[in-house]
Amino acid sequence: MSIEDIFQSILQLKRGEIADLVQAEIDAKTDVGVILEQGLINAMGEVGNQFTEGKLFVPEMLRAAETMKIGLEVLRPLLVEADIKPRGTVVIGTVAGDLHDIGKNLVGMMLEGAGFTVVDLGVDVAAKAFLDAAGEHQAELVAMSALLTTTMPVMADCIGRFKEANMNSRILIGGAPVNQDFAIKISADGYSSDAPGAVELAKKLVPAQ
Amino acid sequence: MRVQCQILSEDEKQRIHTESLKILEQIGVKFLSQRALKIMKDNGAKVDDDTGIAKISAEMVEQALKTAPKSFVLGGRDPARNVELPRPTAGYVLDLGGVFTRDFKTGERRYATLQDNNDAMRVFDEMALSSVVWPHSMAEGDTPNSNAIRLVLNSFMYSSLHVQDEFSEPEEVPYIYEAMAAILGSEDAVKQRKLYSVTYCTLAPLVHEGGMCDAYLDMIEFEAPILIYPMPCTGSTGPCSLFSNIAMGNAEALSSLVLFQMAHPGTPLIFGDASGSTDFASGGFLEGSPEMVLMTAALGEMARFYGLPNTQQGCQTDSKEPGPQAVMEKLVTTLPLVLSGADLVQGPGCLETSGCLCLEQIVIDEEIGGLCKRIRDGIDFSAAKNLYDDVAQIGPSGHFLMQDSTLEACRSDEFYAPKLFDRHTFERWSELGRPDTYSKARERVEEILATPQKNPLPDDVIGKLEEIMRKADEELN
Ligand code: B12
Repeated sequence: MSIEDIFQSILQLKRGEIADLVQAEIDAKTDVGVILEQGLINAMGEVGNQFTEGKLFVPEMLRAAETMKIGLEVLRPLLVEADIKPRGTVVIGTVAGDLHDIGKNLVGMMLEGAGFTVVDLGVDVAAKAFLDAAGEHQAELVAMSALLTTTMPVMADCIGRFKEANMNSRILIGGAPVNQDFAIKISADGYSSDAPGAVELAKKLVPAQ
Repeated sequence: MRVQCQILSEDEKQRIHTESLKILEQIGVKFLSQRALKIMKDNGAKVDDDTGIAKISAEMVEQALKTAPKSFVLGGRDPARNVELPRPTAGYVLDLGGVFTRDFKTGERRYATLQDNNDAMRVFDEMALSSVVWPHSMAEGDTPNSNAIRLVLNSFMYSSLHVQDEFSEPEEVPYIYEAMAAILGSEDAVKQRKLYSVTYCTLAPLVHEGGMCDAYLDMIEFEAPILIYPMPCTGSTGPCSLFSNIAMGNAEALSSLVLFQMAHPGTPLIFGDASGSTDFASGGFLEGSPEMVLMTAALGEMARFYGLPNTQQGCQTDSKEPGPQAVMEKLVTTLPLVLSGADLVQGPGCLETSGCLCLEQIVIDEEIGGLCKRIRDGIDFSAAKNLYDDVAQIGPSGHFLMQDSTLEACRSDEFYAPKLFDRHTFERWSELGRPDTYSKARERVEEILATPQKNPLPDDVIGKLEEIMRKADEELN
């Protein structure tokens, strides 16, 4: 048994094995921070790399993320005890009037895999709901997705409200009709055209402590 | 005979139908609109008020199929461009659903403008087989809430074809109807001529939207035709087999059919489909794949199985650039539809998974349509085409170039004359500057845009439409 087995079980999508492997490491008194970083998060980092390179398919990446989460659940009580915090919290959602969620879900799963706590507000999310959730969860990041021209302005409105309320969450935007120019125009803190890029951005905006 | 390709056997059609009924009866469909739920309940669906899921019986589907018209006409602004459904050969729907345009001069990809919409309308108007236009989507502008109205009214001004819209807000309806009354001269003519129809997408898997559904129910008494257009994506928003994705898409379409026929029996419906397949590397929606067209062609056959007119997604590409990928994907996603007898193919004009308009692509896509039609028309075995006497007259050796039949046939439909292909010798082609297909397409676009618009609306009508747009800008923004 080793951390390497945990790492491999995620890359090999072995959903049924990971809980036992993590438990075995805990029983062997391996540091929980090490299990988390070197076993779980590093594995998802590798999953992300392989996905970016086009080697891993989305259904495989999602199964890897699910496997990682099962391992994380086993570890969670000990993380709380050891006062190990997630990298940061992201509130994510598709903006009001918009029901497209495939892209948003991918971004959410990838962020989770990178060690962020993800609060998914779903679709058709009003500016106020983003604001409330960001406040409630003290979110470092807010990630908004829009796939319709008619819902892109909601993002601008939302950013305005965050500014008005003096909230310091950083705001990421994305979705097929959005581009870098639009992001600059509405003063978003970041834009990416795909999910791996969203993770890069998030890591840049919320550096590991 | 005409060349016919069949995607589904009779037995397979029956299996899809049975499977779809099973989905509707046992799993049900969710309605986010209370009004829609009430209509379903009043007409015998088993409705769970907590979940909003309605289970729809086979009898309800049968009943809806009885009242749905089997044929109707999509009115062109110019009556000569009316589209009778069903059609003997595939017509084409200009796909401007995307937000981006590839700038004709610079080749740069940028947000679309009203001018792009109008240029595309003018180019498409001159293409053979053009039937219906979708207005462009526009991201920017000072009048965001009246953008859609501007786009529709400008489409009426710059196109003589039927306009079909991805309808978004109920507030837009009165302006569009006022504009049609101005064009046609009376309100009665608006209902009768049907210059405008709307696209209704269900939310895969198995959901009907709230606001959009209400908006469609609001306007149903205008009797505008509705294109039912499910877009389940096999592997993401749909099950990961073509068979089940087709069955689920068909169930979504049947549930829309039931809703609109129960709400207003006799509403003209186009039974369409815009399924996609998943790019497993990115999760993206693919429209240029062979699997996409197998599904939409299969659902075109289901439409005929039900005796309903249809529009199918085709002539599509996921390529970002004009070029070989665009041409190959568009050809392979058009031919099966044409050969299996789809009424309308929705796709020309766009690159990038319906995301980006490209003017020269409209011209390329016309050529693809022409080639596919030629294959579809097949081999003419009529008596007039039996040239035995010519063979006897010329006999062994000699040539047929001087026969009357040759002179007659050389400009006939029997021999398709491509507008864009180069068939010169190598030397002549070099002398001409080695033109390629796209450079010829660009020339055609330039030519069309440089000549005055054919068939414009009278000045006083344009004045009225402009007034309506000004009013909409003021009242809605
Ligand atoms: C699938 C789809 C649907 C499905 C959605 C199912 C679902 N559960 O999500 C259904 C059928 C329900 C649907 C409905 C509609 N749709 Co739709 N849909 C699409 C389609 C084909 C693909 C979208 C998709 O999932 N792509 C795959 C994912 C993986 O990509 P993505 O979302 O872009 O996400 C990636 C990036 O953008 C980025 N990203 C996304 N979010 C975020 C967020 C952040 C913070 C960051 C950093 C990055 C990021 O990362 C993601 C992963 O790499 C697009 C066309 C297209 N090619 O984009 C049209 C499209 C977006 N739809 C369109 C339309 C018009 C509609 C409807 C209005 C149609 C109608 N008339 O009923 C309705 C609207 C419903 C509503 N109110 O939202 C138009 C929009 C045009 C416009 N005017 O803006 C499009 C462009 C199609 C077209 N050409 O007409 N649609």
